[in-house]
Amino acid sequence: MSLESWLDFARGPLFRLCFSLMILGLLRILVLTILGMKEAWDRSADKIVPWRDLTVQTAKWLVPVSSLWRKRPIYSAVSVVFHAGLLLVPLFLPAHVLLWKRAVGFAWAELPQALADWLTLAAVAAGLGLFAGRVFHSAARALSRRQEYVWPLLLVVPFATGYLCSHAVLSPRAYQWLMLLHVFAGNLILLLIPFTKIAHCVLFPLSQYVSGLAWKFPPRAGQRVAETLGYADRPTWVERPRVATDRILTPTEEA
Amino acid sequence: MARVRRLKFFLWALTGLAAAVGVFRFLFGLGAATNLSDAYPWGVWIGFDVMSGVALAAGGFIVTATVYIFKLERFHVIVRPAVLTAFLGYVAVAVGLLFDLGLPWNIWHMLIYWNPHSPLFEVGWCVMLYLTVLTLEFLPVPAEEISRLASVRRFLVKIRLPLVIAGIGLSTLHQSSLGSLFLIMPEYLHPLWYSPILPVLFLVSAIGLGLAMVIFESHTTAYFYYRKPETHLMASLAAAARWVLVVYLALRFADLAWRGQLHHLAGAGWQVWWFWFELAVMAFVPIAIFSLPQTRRNQTWQWAGALFGVAGVVLNRVNVGGLMHQGRGDRLYWPSWTEITISAGIVSAAVLAFLFFIEHFRVWQERPVDPEADPRKLPELSAVGATWLGVPVVANRTVYSLAFVGAAALGFALIHPQPASSRGIVPVPVHNARGADVLWIDGNLDGYGVAFPHADHEKREGGKKSCARCHHMNLPRDKASPCGVCHRDMYAPSDAFRHDWHAGPRGAALPCVKCHTPGRPRTKETAKTCDQCHKDLVAEGAVIKVKQYQAPSYTEAMHRLCVGCHVERAASRHKPDMPRCAWCHKERRRFVDAPDLDFRGLRAPGSEVVLPPLPESKSKR
Repeated sequence: MSLESWLDFARGPLFRLCFSLMILGLLRILVLTILGMKEAWDRSADKIVPWRDLTVQTAKWLVPVSSLWRKRPIYSAVSVVFHAGLLLVPLFLPAHVLLWKRAVGFAWAELPQALADWLTLAAVAAGLGLFAGRVFHSAARALSRRQEYVWPLLLVVPFATGYLCSHAVLSPRAYQWLMLLHVFAGNLILLLIPFTKIAHCVLFPLSQYVSGLAWKFPPRAGQRVAETLGYADRPTWVERPRVATDRILTPTEEA
Repeated sequence: MARVRRLKFFLWALTGLAAAVGVFRFLFGLGAATNLSDAYPWGVWIGFDVMSGVALAAGGFIVTATVYIFKLERFHVIVRPAVLTAFLGYVAVAVGLLFDLGLPWNIWHMLIYWNPHSPLFEVGWCVMLYLTVLTLEFLPVPAEEISRLASVRRFLVKIRLPLVIAGIGLSTLHQSSLGSLFLIMPEYLHPLWYSPILPVLFLVSAIGLGLAMVIFESHTTAYFYYRKPETHLMASLAAAARWVLVVYLALRFADLAWRGQLHHLAGAGWQVWWFWFELAVMAFVPIAIFSLPQTRRNQTWQWAGALFGVAGVVLNRVNVGGLMHQGRGDRLYWPSWTEITISAGIVSAAVLAFLFFIEHFRVWQERPVDPEADPRKLPELSAVGATWLGVPVVANRTVYSLAFVGAAALGFALIHPQPASSRGIVPVPVHNARGADVLWIDGNLDGYGVAFPHADHEKREGGKKSCARCHHMNLPRDKASPCGVCHRDMYAPSDAFRHDWHAGPRGAALPCVKCHTPGRPRTKETAKTCDQCHKDLVAEGAVIKVKQYQAPSYTEAMHRLCVGCHVERAASRHKPDMPRCAWCHKERRRFVDAPDLDFRGLRAPGSEVVLPPLPESKSKR
């Protein structure tokens, strides 16, 4: 297959697959979470849930400069810039709006090209900055999973390639390779959104309620789990600070 | 429960795929989503979903009649599954019909706007009424679990006998009236399938199929739920099914013989083989299996015989419903993958509903219990991701919803939106005219062309300097480029600008910014126009001025050019026939196999066309 047909494939069927998987997958995770919340609510013995406090908490976390601003101002600011770029540029870049208009027949407002360019550069810089923060900040490193390192870098790829494609003077072949990378990285991002931490784009409004409800499981739930596992004589809470070696022994090891 | 779990995963995926295709069908219509056409208006949705679905549901009225009318109480254990099968079968029929009919919000019209002359009117009413009866027959089962519905349940049990009788009446009416639909097409349906007693044949085969379906369903669910199979009970059903099928065979051949149509069996053609194949699957094999005592009492053989019977009747319905309609164009109908997907998805959804009912209500004497759901069971890690997905309810919905969503996304990826907007325009590439002094203009090479006296035209219009009259644009550094270079499609407009010639690696491989303004979206608005680089594109003295990149189709370009000029000349030279079709379209022969075509004299012997004189008022356009 030639480069052109790979591009057609990536922009056509592959994009439709990834995009619809993102939409449906996010809907799925939303419905599953709400179902889980409902079950927790049904099974909880006391139905006193601080709905108001949870709502206030959710609203507070929506404001980017509130609590984090005081503790880690640089991280907070960079994160806001990153999010602005991630949300605005893919949706409102003039060239993307044009693609949508060709595909579905209608279009929406566009960002001015100059603003989009600056946002793109800012998002690239912010993504690299966030990655550096993960790597060099020891507290962040201790909290990070593998996907935490991959995501900022992966998100930077389509921004960088897209900027190069629209601004650098390139040979057609180099342009096509970069464009292919751009589209494939974009598709990969769409595909991964509902299955990774980026699902917070729909789960964010629920997260405070989920934590609130999680405490409402039936009384003695922990005790019963321990009994089921055969550790009825052990306490169901961790008394010491948790360290890596503190794992539950299997029955054979215990014997 | 591992078997059921795998089955459900598969069914949810199929349902998801069908859901995506269903969205596509309702957005873009039948033409885009199916291979149906005016010649083949009824396809697999009618033949399989509706006609076979109704036949598959026949088990409901047969078993209720056996138990409640004939009082054969030993069959009582299979009443509930049979009624449930019938109920879900009819729901599937209604849903399948909605996909075929479209405009689902108009479905109530049948209640208000009566057309009592139409068999479809009768079919529609039967579906509605029988679906109601089946709902009322099955409702006591879920009502057992809901204490609020106790009085409803008592009432329904009280009126069960009238319901059963109504069900039998409606069902027999409906099974046979599906056959009577085809009585109006004796000349379309193949004579081996057409019969004036089609209603009777449909009814009898539906009874046979209903019995086979009960056997098939019982053994299949027994396999999936690790149940003890009801082999003994099924053996008596198999024995009954055998006699029904024998009666069916006798009726079918007696009808053919009585109407003198048996000679078709001696004829050639794949239809005869297909006829024997259908009868073998539908009758010969099941009769053989159900007749031998060893095989009749064996669980696996019973299942195989029932499967053959079910497949055969479905084949019969598909044949009568569309495949054996002949004399409608030379192209055979074959369902598109979207049609098959929708049908499969409807069946999957019905099976999922069936499994839901047997797991949650007392359809069987005891409900199947998932050993995984035992609270004392130790949690097991799932194969993927080595995590515990939760109790079976949670784990199942996590996995099944993933199957559904993934398959639906795959469906959206597979469906190409292009056919929705442009099916019907088949690209027909243009071939340039061939010849020298006389050119044979036949862009699509179908043999119907125009012999164009090129040299004569050149001489008459003033020699070399007249080229630009027709050759209004040329390729760079070319003179008199052929028409088909830009007018590339016979019937559709084509793009005269070749992007690949400019930017492609095999073309000039120019960087984008050579034409496009840097830093702006690369559209034709931000690009240079052709003449900013190519100074010699437009021929000197060209009459036709090009203002856009879209070149009209080859036929349109040729006609506009020639006819326009001929209209002018017709007036000045007093030749009123010049702008008429036959002035140029004289030769109706293939260029290659017409060696005797007189190209010097331009007119093949005997091809003169006499035209009525053109009215004066219309001679000028």
